[in-house]
Amino acid sequence: MASTIIGAGITIEGEITTDDEVVVQGTVRGKLTAKDAVTIESGAVVEADIVGGPLAVAGSVTGNIHSSDRVDLQPGARVVGNVKATRITIADGAQFKGNVDMDV
Amino acid sequence: MARSTTRPSSDLGQARIGSGARVHGRIAGDGDLTIEGRVEGDIFLRGELTVDASGSVEAETVEADEITVSGTLQGELRVKGAVRALSGARVRGNVQGGSFALEDGAEFSGRVELDFELPAELEEAQPARGRR
Repeated sequence: MASTIIGAGITIEGEITTDDEVVVQGTVRGKLTAKDAVTIESGAVVEADIVGGPLAVAGSVTGNIHSSDRVDLQPGARVVGNVKATRITIADGAQFKGNVDMDV
Repeated sequence: MARSTTRPSSDLGQARIGSGARVHGRIAGDGDLTIEGRVEGDIFLRGELTVDASGSVEAETVEADEITVSGTLQGELRVKGAVRALSGARVRGNVQGGSFALEDGAEFSGRVELDFELPAELEEAQPARGRR
């Protein structure tokens, strides 16, 4: 099945639910729920709680992140919110403010 | 690392609501958008909107430069250029735009109002419509 791509010029205000992968390059406000991988690319703005599979963040996220797998905050990422996942990495150069819950 | 998270640049600028996805809310912005999943909410797009055969849109207003429908689309359509309802499409709502193409095999119900000049003799015979 084809993945969902929120392009750089696109803004979605509301709720996105999907069984597949999601790539955000634009803006999402509301709630984002995916069963598969979620990628927040550099330049993307997400003001939403995110629930997903493996999650990679290089853009800006304001909201709580809950992954059934791993969360990678990449260089340049800016995250304000709590992160819950089984594995978490925060790269040098990522900005992060919030709690980390690694389910231990 | 279990999974590479970098993407090919060919993906850039190509917006798509995938077939497994559902959006409940408002979509706005610049660029083309393809809908293969389900959207409940208004769309305001400066670009081309494509509703694939598997896609469905339920909105009050859908605005775009052009709209091509193979799936289901319900709402007030306001378009700068062309609206195309391809075979298999189900479109319900009023269409305001530059042109409207309804292919054989497409279902449509609604009012069509296109922007073009009527010849003078027809213009006089037109029922009164809010004119400047």
